[in-house]
Amino acid sequence: MDSSNDEALDIIITNVVATFRTRCHLNLRTIALEGTNVIYKPEVGKVLMKLRKPKITASIWSSGKIICTGATSEDDAKLGARRLARLLQKLGFKVRFSAFKVVNVLAVCSMPFAIHLIDFTKNNRPIASYEPELHPAATYRIKHIKATIQVFSTGSITVTGPNVQNVATAVEQVYPLLFECQKPRYK
Amino acid sequence: MSSRVCRTCGGADIDVDQARGSAVCTGCGSVLEDNIIVSEVQFVEGSGGVSSAVGQFVSADGPVKAPLLGSGFHTSVGKESRAQTLQGGKRQIQHLGSQLQLNQHCLDTAFNFFKMVVSKHLTRGRKTEHVIAACLYLVCRTEGTPHMLLDLSDLLQVNVYILGKTFLLLARELCINAPAIDPCLYIPRFAHMLEFGVKTHEVSMTALRLVQRMKRDWMHTGRRPSGLCGAALLVAARMHKFRRTVKDVISVVKVCQTTLRKRLTEFEDTPTSQLTIDEFMKVDLEQECDPPSFTAAQHKVKMQQLEHELARKLDEVEGEISCYKDEIETELEKSRPKLRGIYAAYAKEIDPEGVEVASSLSEPEAAPEGEEDELRAAADHLTQNFLCQVIQEEEGRGQKMGEGLEMEGAGPEREEAGLDMEGAGPEREEAGLDMEGARPEREEAGLDMEGARPEREEAGLDMEGAGPQRQAVPLADILGNLASLQQTFQTFSETGEKPDDEQSESGELDLMGIDDHEIEKYILNEREVEVKTELWMKQNEEYLKEQKEKEDRIQKEKEQGTYKEKPKKKKKKVPVAALTAGEAIERMLEKKKISSKINYDVLRDLNSRGTGSGGGSSPSRSNAEVDPPTAAAAAKRLNRRRRRKNSDANRDLAANASIMGKRVRLLLSSTSKKKKTALQAENPVTVAAAEVTSYPSPPPAGAVVEAEEEEEEEEVVVEEECVSALQLVGDYGCEEEEVF
Repeated sequence: MDSSNDEALDIIITNVVATFRTRCHLNLRTIALEGTNVIYKPEVGKVLMKLRKPKITASIWSSGKIICTGATSEDDAKLGARRLARLLQKLGFKVRFSAFKVVNVLAVCSMPFAIHLIDFTKNNRPIASYEPELHPAATYRIKHIKATIQVFSTGSITVTGPNVQNVATAVEQVYPLLFECQKPRYK
Repeated sequence: MSSRVCRTCGGADIDVDQARGSAVCTGCGSVLEDNIIVSEVQFVEGSGGVSSAVGQFVSADGPVKAPLLGSGFHTSVGKESRAQTLQGGKRQIQHLGSQLQLNQHCLDTAFNFFKMVVSKHLTRGRKTEHVIAACLYLVCRTEGTPHMLLDLSDLLQVNVYILGKTFLLLARELCINAPAIDPCLYIPRFAHMLEFGVKTHEVSMTALRLVQRMKRDWMHTGRRPSGLCGAALLVAARMHKFRRTVKDVISVVKVCQTTLRKRLTEFEDTPTSQLTIDEFMKVDLEQECDPPSFTAAQHKVKMQQLEHELARKLDEVEGEISCYKDEIETELEKSRPKLRGIYAAYAKEIDPEGVEVASSLSEPEAAPEGEEDELRAAADHLTQNFLCQVIQEEEGRGQKMGEGLEMEGAGPEREEAGLDMEGAGPEREEAGLDMEGARPEREEAGLDMEGARPEREEAGLDMEGAGPQRQAVPLADILGNLASLQQTFQTFSETGEKPDDEQSESGELDLMGIDDHEIEKYILNEREVEVKTELWMKQNEEYLKEQKEKEDRIQKEKEQGTYKEKPKKKKKKVPVAALTAGEAIERMLEKKKISSKINYDVLRDLNSRGTGSGGGSSPSRSNAEVDPPTAAAAAKRLNRRRRRKNSDANRDLAANASIMGKRVRLLLSSTSKKKKTALQAENPVTVAAAEVTSYPSPPPAGAVVEAEEEEEEEEVVVEEECVSALQLVGDYGCEEEEVF
C-alpha cells in the first residue's frame, strides 16, 4: 500500500521476524555438527543457522522453538521457515511445522521533504517523544495498531509493526502529521 | 445527638466546652457528655526547649484504615514500608541534588515527582538510583536548568542510555511534557567552565548568536546540543582571540573530536561562515540552509543520477566511438612516426594484440549490461581523468579539469573534445580512445604523456600508458572474467526456487516449493561431520571441561549425601488480608491459581453469595432436582459436622478444588441451570464429602435445600471459612482427595 498522496511513497520492508515451533526436542549438538553455516552457542543454549536462499538467520533452541530473522517479506519468511524445518527433518528430527507467526516487520520509507522534529514533537505530545541527547530520531508510537515510527530529520522514517498491513497503515496515518511539520526547502 | 436535647430537662441549650471536653446542659446543669474527643493540636516540649506538635503524619495515599499496631500488623507493615521508601527517596534526592547544585525548590519538585512515581508503582523492578536520577532530570528539564543527562550519569556511573530509558518512561507515565532541549541553555555553563575571565559574557553572547544561526540553518535537529555548543564556543573563543584548542573544548562539552570537527565543517558549508567577524555580529543573513544530512543525501542522489545518465549516454556514444576508432586506426597506421628503440619490438607484437583486445572488447560491448556498464563507466571516468590532464597540459583547457563530478556530466563532451583533437594530432586521438587498448604510438605522443604516466598507472584499469602490453592484458582478463562471472550469476539465479507457498496445516510440513536437493547441500556428509566434530571439540574444550567438572562434582556430592539441590526460590507468601472469608478466598484464588481446571468466576460468585456455607457443589446443583429434603438435611448435617473440624475443612476446600477441576464441564453447562434457583453458584468450596461418593442425585438435591438453609448457618460457617482460608493458604499442597 502506498501513501495517500499523489506521489507514491516507497515503503521498503527490510526485515521480517517470525517464530515457529517444531513440536519436538532438538539436539543442538547434532545440528551444530552436521549442518553447514551453523554457529553453536552452548552458553546461551542456541544454534544460529543461516540460510542462503531466502537470506535468513534462524535461532534454534533445544525446546523446538525457532526464530527466523532477516527475511524481506512475509512470504519469504514462511518459505525460509519451511526450508529450515525440512532441513531439520533431514537431519533426523521428527519435525512438525506449527505455530508459524510473523512477529515483527521493519520497514523504511523516505519522505520527499525534511522534517522539523521539534515542531512535530510539540504537535503530537505525548504520543511522540524526542530526546536528542539519546537518539537523533523522534519516536511516535501508535497504540491501537501497535506500531512504532522513528522519524529522522532528513525525512526518512523507519516503521516497526506486527505485520505488513499495520506498517502500511501506520505510514498512512503519520504522513499528514509529517507533512505539516516539513521544513521548507531552500537552495 | 444527645448534645441537642438534654435528657433530663429537655432543654436544647447545651454548652460544649472544648477545653474540658464536656457538654453540659445550661438548663438543668446535667453533664451530657464527658471526655469529648477534641481535635486540637497539642504541643510537647522536646530536648533543647523546642516545642513540637504531637501527632503522626498519615499519608493520604496509604491504606484507608488507620494503622492498628499489634492486631492488624500486616497492614501497618505495608504502610511503614511506603513511608520508608519515600524517606529513602527523599534522602537520595537531597544527596544527588546537592551535588548538582540544584536549589531547594527543584529538590522538592523532584520529591513530588518521586511520590507520584511510587504511587503508580513504577519503582517496581527498577533501581531506586535510576528512578531518582530520572526524577531529578525531569525537574531539570521542566525548570530549564543547564544540566545534562550526561552529568547525572557521570555522577552515578550509569550508562546514559539506561537513564534515558527510565526518564522517557517516567515522563510518559506521569504525562509530563518536558520542553525540548535548547542548546542556548548550555552556553553560559560551558563558557564559564572554559574560563574566559572578564570576557566570558561577551564570548557567551557571540556563541549564542552562533548557535541561533546554526538553528536557523537546521544544523541542530537530531544532534546532541552539547556538540553544537562546543562548536559555537570554539569559534566564539577564536573570534575573541582566546586560544582554546579542540581538546579543551571537548573536555568541557563531553563530545568527541570527530563530532566537533564535523560540526565545524558543516558550519563552514553554510553561507554564514563566509562573513567576517564584524559582519556576522551586525548582519543576519536571511537565507536558511537545508540540514547537512539532507544535503549529503541529496548529493548522493545527484551522483547516482549522473552515473545513470552517463551510462545511458555511453551506450549512445559507443556506436560512434567504434566507427571513429576504426577511422583513427587507419589514420594512425598511415601516419605512424618512427618508433623509439625499446618499443619497436613491442609494436609488432602488440598491434595484433591490440586488435584482439579491441575485438574482444567489442564483444563485451554487445554483451548484457550490468557490471559491464559500471566497469565501462569507471573506465570512462579514468579515461576522462587522464584526458582532462592531457587536454590541460596540451591545450591549456583547464575548465574541465579536476572536478570529478562534473566530469561525468561532461564526459560525452570531453570524449568528443578528445575526438575533435584528432585533427590536432595522432597522439591525442589515441588518448581519446584509450579505453580500446594500449597503443605504442601513444608513447610517441610526447613527453607530456609520460608526465601523465604515473597517474595513468594509478588508474585502476591501467589501460593507457607505459607498458601497453601489460595494460592490454589486464583489461582483456578483466573483461574475460566479467563474462565468466556473468555466467555464474545466471546459473546461480536459475537454481533459485519460486516461492510457492500454500497454507500448511498445523504440524504438517508443506513441502511445496522446497527443493530437497538444495537443502541436502546444507547437510554435511560423514567425513565432514567427523572433521567438524573434532574442530568443535577443540574449540569448545573449556566449556566442555567445565560441564564435566560440574557433573563430577554433583556426582560426588550425591554419593556423599551432601548433594544440595539448587534451592528453588520460594515466592514469599504475603498473608491475605480480607474483611470476610469470601474476600479472603477471592484474593487467595487470585494470587494462586491452584488448578487450571477450576472456573474461578464460579468460585467467586459462590463466595459472594452464601458465605461459604455447606451445601452442595454447584455441579451437583446444576443437576438440581428436588430430592427428599431429609437426605439433603442429613447430608448437610454431615457436612456441618465435618466442617467443624478445621483440618477437615481444609481438606474439604482442597478436595473441593480438585473435585471442581473434574466437574468443570458440568459447571459450565450448568451455568444456565444455576439461574433457576435464587441462590446461585453455591460454594463448590464446601462440597460435601458425600458427593464424592455418590455424585449426582442426593447431594444435588441436598444442595438445593441446603442452600436455602444456608443463611442460618452463615455466621457459624463464616468463622470456619475464615480460618480454613488462611490455613489453606498456609498448607496448600494437600490436593489429594480425601474421601470421607
